[in-house]
Amino acid sequence: MFAKIVRWCFRRPKPVFAVVTIAVVLGVSQFSRIQVDTDPENMLPRDEPVRLRHDQVKEEFGIYDFIVVGVVREGSPQGVFQAETLNRVYRITERIKKIDGVISREIIAPSTKDNIRQGGPGTVVFEWLMAGPIETAVQAERIRDEALDNPMFRGTMVSGDGKALAIYVPIQRKDMSYRISREIQAIIDEFSGEEEYYITGLPVAEDTFGVEMFKQMAVSAPLAGAIIFLLMLLFFKSVRLIISPMLLAVATVLITMGLLIGFGLPVHIMSSMIPIFLMPIAVLDSVHILSEFFDQYRIRHNKRDALLATIEELFSPMLFTSLTSAVGFFSLSFSPIPPVQTFGIFVAIGVMLAWALTMTFIPAYIGALSDNALRKMKKGSSKEDRSGPHGAIDVVLKGVRTFSLQRAKLILSFVVAVILVSIYGISQIRVNDNPIRWFTENHRIRIADRVLNEHFAGTYTAYLVLEAENGKDVFKRPDMLNYIQQLQRYLEKQGQVGKSTSLTDVVKKVYMELMGGEEEYFTVPETKQAVSQCLISYENSHKPDDLWHMATPDYDKVNLWIQLNSGDNKDMSQVVAQASNFMRTHKPPYKFESYWAGLTYINMVWQDKMVVGMLKNFLGSFIIVFFMMTFLFRSPYRGLISMVPLTVTILCIYGLLGIVGKDYDMPVAVLSALTLGLSIDFAIHFIQRAREIHAAHPGWERASRFLFQGPGRAIVRNALVIAVGFLPLLVAPLIPYRTVGFFMFAIMLVSSIATLIILPAIITLIPDAVFAGEKKKFVCNCGYCVVMAIAAAAAVGYVLRGYTFAGWDITVFAAIGVIAVMAGICAAAARRKFCITKKEDQ
Amino acid sequence: MIGMLIVGYAQGIAGARAEMGADEIARKAYNTAYYEGDDGRATVEMTLTDRQERTRKRKFQILRYDIKDGGRQKYYVYFREPADVREMVYMVWKHVGSDDDRWLYLPALDLVRRIAASDKRSSFVGSDFTYEDISGRSVDLDSHELVSSEGGKYLLKNTPKDPDLVEFSYYLVSIDKETMMPVKAEYFDAQGEKYREINALEVKEIQGHPTIIRQRADDLAAGSHTIVEFSDIEYDVGISEDIFTERYLRRAPRRWLDY
Repeated sequence: MFAKIVRWCFRRPKPVFAVVTIAVVLGVSQFSRIQVDTDPENMLPRDEPVRLRHDQVKEEFGIYDFIVVGVVREGSPQGVFQAETLNRVYRITERIKKIDGVISREIIAPSTKDNIRQGGPGTVVFEWLMAGPIETAVQAERIRDEALDNPMFRGTMVSGDGKALAIYVPIQRKDMSYRISREIQAIIDEFSGEEEYYITGLPVAEDTFGVEMFKQMAVSAPLAGAIIFLLMLLFFKSVRLIISPMLLAVATVLITMGLLIGFGLPVHIMSSMIPIFLMPIAVLDSVHILSEFFDQYRIRHNKRDALLATIEELFSPMLFTSLTSAVGFFSLSFSPIPPVQTFGIFVAIGVMLAWALTMTFIPAYIGALSDNALRKMKKGSSKEDRSGPHGAIDVVLKGVRTFSLQRAKLILSFVVAVILVSIYGISQIRVNDNPIRWFTENHRIRIADRVLNEHFAGTYTAYLVLEAENGKDVFKRPDMLNYIQQLQRYLEKQGQVGKSTSLTDVVKKVYMELMGGEEEYFTVPETKQAVSQCLISYENSHKPDDLWHMATPDYDKVNLWIQLNSGDNKDMSQVVAQASNFMRTHKPPYKFESYWAGLTYINMVWQDKMVVGMLKNFLGSFIIVFFMMTFLFRSPYRGLISMVPLTVTILCIYGLLGIVGKDYDMPVAVLSALTLGLSIDFAIHFIQRAREIHAAHPGWERASRFLFQGPGRAIVRNALVIAVGFLPLLVAPLIPYRTVGFFMFAIMLVSSIATLIILPAIITLIPDAVFAGEKKKFVCNCGYCVVMAIAAAAAVGYVLRGYTFAGWDITVFAAIGVIAVMAGICAAAARRKFCITKKEDQ
Repeated sequence: MIGMLIVGYAQGIAGARAEMGADEIARKAYNTAYYEGDDGRATVEMTLTDRQERTRKRKFQILRYDIKDGGRQKYYVYFREPADVREMVYMVWKHVGSDDDRWLYLPALDLVRRIAASDKRSSFVGSDFTYEDISGRSVDLDSHELVSSEGGKYLLKNTPKDPDLVEFSYYLVSIDKETMMPVKAEYFDAQGEKYREINALEVKEIQGHPTIIRQRADDLAAGSHTIVEFSDIEYDVGISEDIFTERYLRRAPRRWLDY
């Protein structure tokens, strides 16, 4: 039937072009409806308990996401505490208050914070830390001393060394942070002084990343496209020929993106990567077809025959390479993370679309070309056979063939060694992510992050909420406040927490000032009434609401503000573990429940989910791909062998990550799907062609000569085009792009080497494993059926599990059911000698 | 003292209203709000409600003694609730032309502290009223402008003479022509946005004095509000001046508080 479709397309190029054009136009027409979503928080579904809790904590304690504006003045002993610098900070703060989207009453800055201090014998003073512009160095010094004396400010708003201070700018919504940070920058630019200004904070990092990601997409995808185009031009020497894969790739990307937008789905950071994933896949498909077509055309001199022969040979490998890629990506839809689901599903759709277009658009394109043009192209592509890049490839391939046939054992032992090293490397993999690290070292956000975290106790915040079981006023009790303080000191000692602030700190500060300001009174007073009276005294300040960031008015919940100087997941999860460890080993005076909130924590949660989810997806799709390979090659052994290059590639790449010490982060996790989908392709082509050639030219030694010509060349060509095409990504300003570039390069390099060296070596040692079908009665014995059955059962179970349609019990039953049915069919088939009969017919 | 939680001015003598200038209106309203009678007392219940509708209550008694109408004055605020702060005392000696003296007595710490503040705009025990709302903002601190006198009310625009000392750029006050009682105050920030509002919800005549018995302050930016209700209001009870001393902070003057 497919042959019919191909022939139809070949005969009627115009309608095909028209349909593709209409689809592209329809796709592009959707682009205006684009909704962009750059918020990593949306990696978790909106109704995810962690997120609901995060929102509830923010609401309950009046907490907002904030941008951190750091002011640093090195070089003079007074640091930032000089009248001119403080006055600029004052004016900048006043201007920031007016920015749309800023919660001005919650800004933390010297001029917005109230302080409590001694005002002569028996007197306490509540006053703004910096009520207005100042004139003298003495005033500046006073502000410094008072700020450093206040545990709420030291390490948070002012650095211990007095060189830096920070303005915390709360914002209404995170997706405003890029715009607001630009506006703040514009204000800062109007002032000039000795001090340096830095803008950072997770919301800025996340939103800026989103913005730059989209910008990068507009640069990187076309750039990769252009380089691929040039490389293909080098190989095929004909613009007219290679324009078709490029058109196909562009059409695939445009239609897929149009579809995604048309469905009303927001384009998340993840989905913005779709074009760059689809492009190589789409190009690879059509290059295979064109390569083969020209080989055939050289023999047959008739484009119709050549095309049909090409399709006949390539139909099933093409279908299977596409299906495996699609499966790899589709498995992402099992992930608990909505943007990853969208990404996986639409890349899978795009892959299948690329396949469909390859089967229709390319024949139509060839149909539209005149024989004259084709002959010219043929000349072009055959002329350089002995010289230029093709000559070089052929020489290399020849060497590779000789090597892999003669040194098979050596190669396999080497592979085993590599696998062992890789497994060691994988065991060293560190799962970790940090949105700030998505920027390169020299990005202004990275610099700001580094500088500010050197000066302050940390710009990454998490909130630990304690909720008393017995309700009201529990957190006014001195023993409870002391317990909280112990927890804080414990956390601060472990190394990840730079500083923590709690209700206890407020009580101690107020108590000390009320008692005359002596250090010995920096403690929690002895009775609950005394605590209450300290607190109500504090409520006489200019900003009594500041208390409600740390406790509820009923004092049944408190919120600890935890500052970390690293946004790394691993650090956050350590802090979480430390806190629960403390609470487990130290019995509190009153029972309470505890939970976390804050962006740093949220990031940790989704990234953990993602990584674990990815691993599950990956194992699942590995099994499905194995099942498909077993089915395609009609033998579990061939199926297994075809998995070898893929397995080696994956082990190698991830082993390398572990050994080099690169974190296993979000981009790396997502790329596992790509690795799986792309690295099986060469093996499919290689084995399929090996079997066909072997059938025509029996004897492995002989067959391998042919195999290392056309098919070998196609593999090398493809690998080169993609690997080199994505190299520019290695210098992209965003780290995830570099990761993609590295992966494309590594996948192509390792999987082509694995395919061209390891597979021949295996075949040399056990040729039967691959060619058995032609010689021996191998096909329908029970081993095959059982392996197939288990693979199918695992696949079914995996799918059920993935969508959580069923719990493990049902999954297990379903899997057992599938095995039973398959085994039954197998037994029946074996008894009827169905397969053997068929074999004997051959 | 009743209605003292309203910013206000001017003495309560009616008459000759049409000819009154803005300064005079301000002064009369100030006196009506803060200086009725020679002394006074009341029980006050304050309900603080935040944006999340969480409420807290405070209950205290106020004793007031006027040394001179429109001039020096003394306040004694004795806390009854919440239980944790029972017997806490807040005392003020209000001066003219110099900073007030303020004391706080914390029984649980057995501690008397003078409280100094660079300004009077800090919160009164966490409510949406400021210290200045309690004891009155002196008429001399602002320049006054009569914006309108329609609908039975004077509308005064008050602009601070020293803008650095306050967080508002100006505020509007509506004054009832009949009673000369300020019934509404609205505060505007540097951007000209209203961020704060105080309203008299109920005014009654007690012993011949117009008296606010319920009023509400709103912090529009924070979304919180505070309602105060006065009861047991009494004027000219004969409170003696000597109870407004440090000595009586630790030993509450039962005579004036138990009623």
